[in-house]
Amino acid sequence: MDEKLKSPLIRLEKRNKSTIKPVYAWLIRLGSILFALLLGCIAIALAGSNPIKAYGTMLDGALGNAAFRQQTVKKAVPLLGCALAIAPCFKMRFWNIGAEGQITAGALAATFMVRLLATKPEGNSASLPLLLCMALAAMLLGGLWALIPAFFKAKWNTNETLFTLMMNYIIIGVVAWLQAGPWEARQGRIAQFPQSAWLPKVEGVHCGWIIVLVLVFIIHIYMRHTKQGYEIAVIGDSLRTAQYAGMNVGRIMMRTMFLSGAISGLVGFILCSGATNTLSKDIAGGVGFTSITVAWLSQLNAFAMVAISLMLGILTKGADTLQTVMNVPAAISDIIIGLLLFCMLGCEFFINYRLILRKKAGKGGAAA
Amino acid sequence: MKKILALVLCLALVAALFVGCSDNKPETGKNTEAGNKAATTIKVGLICIGDENDQGYTYNFIRGKDAATEALKAKGINVEWVVKWNIPEGDACEDANRELAAAGCKVIFNNSFGFEDYMLKVAPDYPNIQFVSCTNQASWGDSLKNTHNAFANIYEGRYLAGVVAGMKLQQLINDGTITAEQAVIGYVGAFPFAEVKSGYTAYFLGARSVCPSVTMKVQFVNNWSDATAESNAASALCDAGCKLISQHADNSTPATMAQSKGAFFTSYNNDMISVAPEACLVGTRIDWSVYFTEAIEAVANGKEFPQDWSKGLKDGAVVLTALNDKLVAPGTKEKLAEVEAGLKDGSIQVFDTKTFTVGGKELTQAFALDTDGDFVPDKEEAVFDGAFHESYFQSAPYFAIDIDGITTLN
Repeated sequence: MDEKLKSPLIRLEKRNKSTIKPVYAWLIRLGSILFALLLGCIAIALAGSNPIKAYGTMLDGALGNAAFRQQTVKKAVPLLGCALAIAPCFKMRFWNIGAEGQITAGALAATFMVRLLATKPEGNSASLPLLLCMALAAMLLGGLWALIPAFFKAKWNTNETLFTLMMNYIIIGVVAWLQAGPWEARQGRIAQFPQSAWLPKVEGVHCGWIIVLVLVFIIHIYMRHTKQGYEIAVIGDSLRTAQYAGMNVGRIMMRTMFLSGAISGLVGFILCSGATNTLSKDIAGGVGFTSITVAWLSQLNAFAMVAISLMLGILTKGADTLQTVMNVPAAISDIIIGLLLFCMLGCEFFINYRLILRKKAGKGGAAA
Repeated sequence: MKKILALVLCLALVAALFVGCSDNKPETGKNTEAGNKAATTIKVGLICIGDENDQGYTYNFIRGKDAATEALKAKGINVEWVVKWNIPEGDACEDANRELAAAGCKVIFNNSFGFEDYMLKVAPDYPNIQFVSCTNQASWGDSLKNTHNAFANIYEGRYLAGVVAGMKLQQLINDGTITAEQAVIGYVGAFPFAEVKSGYTAYFLGARSVCPSVTMKVQFVNNWSDATAESNAASALCDAGCKLISQHADNSTPATMAQSKGAFFTSYNNDMISVAPEACLVGTRIDWSVYFTEAIEAVANGKEFPQDWSKGLKDGAVVLTALNDKLVAPGTKEKLAEVEAGLKDGSIQVFDTKTFTVGGKELTQAFALDTDGDFVPDKEEAVFDGAFHESYFQSAPYFAIDIDGITTLN
């Protein structure tokens, strides 16, 4: 009796990886999405619209015609690229939340190259040498920007989470200054790039989507089938093991962060050359943070990231249409997206733990 | 676990269905309304930087949109609006323009200055759709026939609001509440650009026409819409001795700050008396319905409309909001009527060169347009017939001269 009094109504038990079948884990994930959509119904209904019609509008607005699909893809491209960039860091348990700044640094370097090299604004077609210079400069500066916190972490074991976060604000501040100062064209903005610096379009979307799809394979191979990828995995699982095995942990950290920053920088290049055709302090627009969710939801699996980033693209584009078509306040769209992300991330808890209800007298078995 | 999940899901489903059903009724009612008699229907796009929640800039466009819809309905034109809210000044604006064009809009209005670059990427692909960038200025110079700019002579409205402010300050001087030297106006400006400078100069000249000793301090916030920065700027201006605050930015926070500091206030974009009843004297705003009506009617009838449009007080494109009778100086209404009539018939010029000096001298020469893209005006003499002619050569303001009596703090 005493024992029963002490035991709580619900208790948590960590699952062994073997106790949950993959199918069951995916069912939980699917259930969490459904649950979030149902919660979203309440929000939509409170705003005075029909939830079922609203979800229909969202889907239609994201995938209904070619123009919508192009926009959806355009929203997914930077998310995917950036998720790929931070995946190696996270695998290493190096919490790089500075992708936002690394994107901005990349875009800044790309813009610098445009200002340096594109002298004639007449060029009406994309110039491959110029685009390559922009991409390389973007990767270099993005990588260097990421290398700084990695260096401090390797040398003096500084906190990389805070360090990378703070680096975001510095580079965004630099761009804000350039935008209103030395590089200002008119009324606080930098001039549009000449067309020679625009990424060409393929199927109606700038070809950044091809670049990131190629990256998916590269990152997959790098993480799963190379020595460097293996080193990253070992450090992530156990720092001590890596040290004991004779790995130069500091060097690997710096190398991985440079790689991560370089890919983020490339995303910055894609954004400024393909999407906005100019640089502004808002160029990253939260992609660096949202992509953390993408990477996490995908369990750092490069192929899953394609699906998750597309899903987020569909959600944001759909939510955008929702505002236009049904006059739903913008905040409601944000609530729906927030609910989905929350439930999808939260469901991992139920995959890792199981709930055990207090056993009733006489009856056995836990509800789960 | 399974049971709980199932239970929760069922409950949520039931709840969702319940609220979903109860919501069905108003949806169906809307469709029948459109069944008007054989009228032309035209699809019109509007891209907004904010939504009605700003109670300022975009809200003012929404009012214009609604009024234009009514006015056009009376003329037998039904407008079907497709509106994109909260679009940032970036590539999202290009997407929005493309989407509205693909949706079949015959004319697309972009409400924010920074949208023009992105609009211009879409316009060449749709020569039969009219693209409008409100408050911007590329159309007279670009080679496209389907791009347009529009602005209203808001400097006239600001001049009038300045008269109300000046009369209030003169009343305070006459009462002995403040000395003549203490009549200082504080102005919260967005950016040090022509649009803002033209506005506060007109406002100041309006005030000085009735209160000769008035001076002005301007604080820029370097943002069109930053509620906190605008509030802080208003606070700093009050602390620097300003007795009356006005603004050229999107939020109502300077009004509340002025009230809390015991200063008076005149607003822009919206009537802010409800926000600051103890401070707000009057406001001025652009009535966009005048332009919307003209442009949409032209497009619906297959006619052309000006690529660079600007109208003012005379045509109702600029209006004053209600006077706060409780606060304004006696005789304000009569004085306003007199000045308004003067502005309409041209006997009063806002930028009359006899009423202000630049570096101690009268202004005799100033160019209006920038033709070579270096952002310094180089063409079309704006000073003639004893006045600087604002919004005469292009709709977007180009008065960017610093006159004596106004100090900028940053």
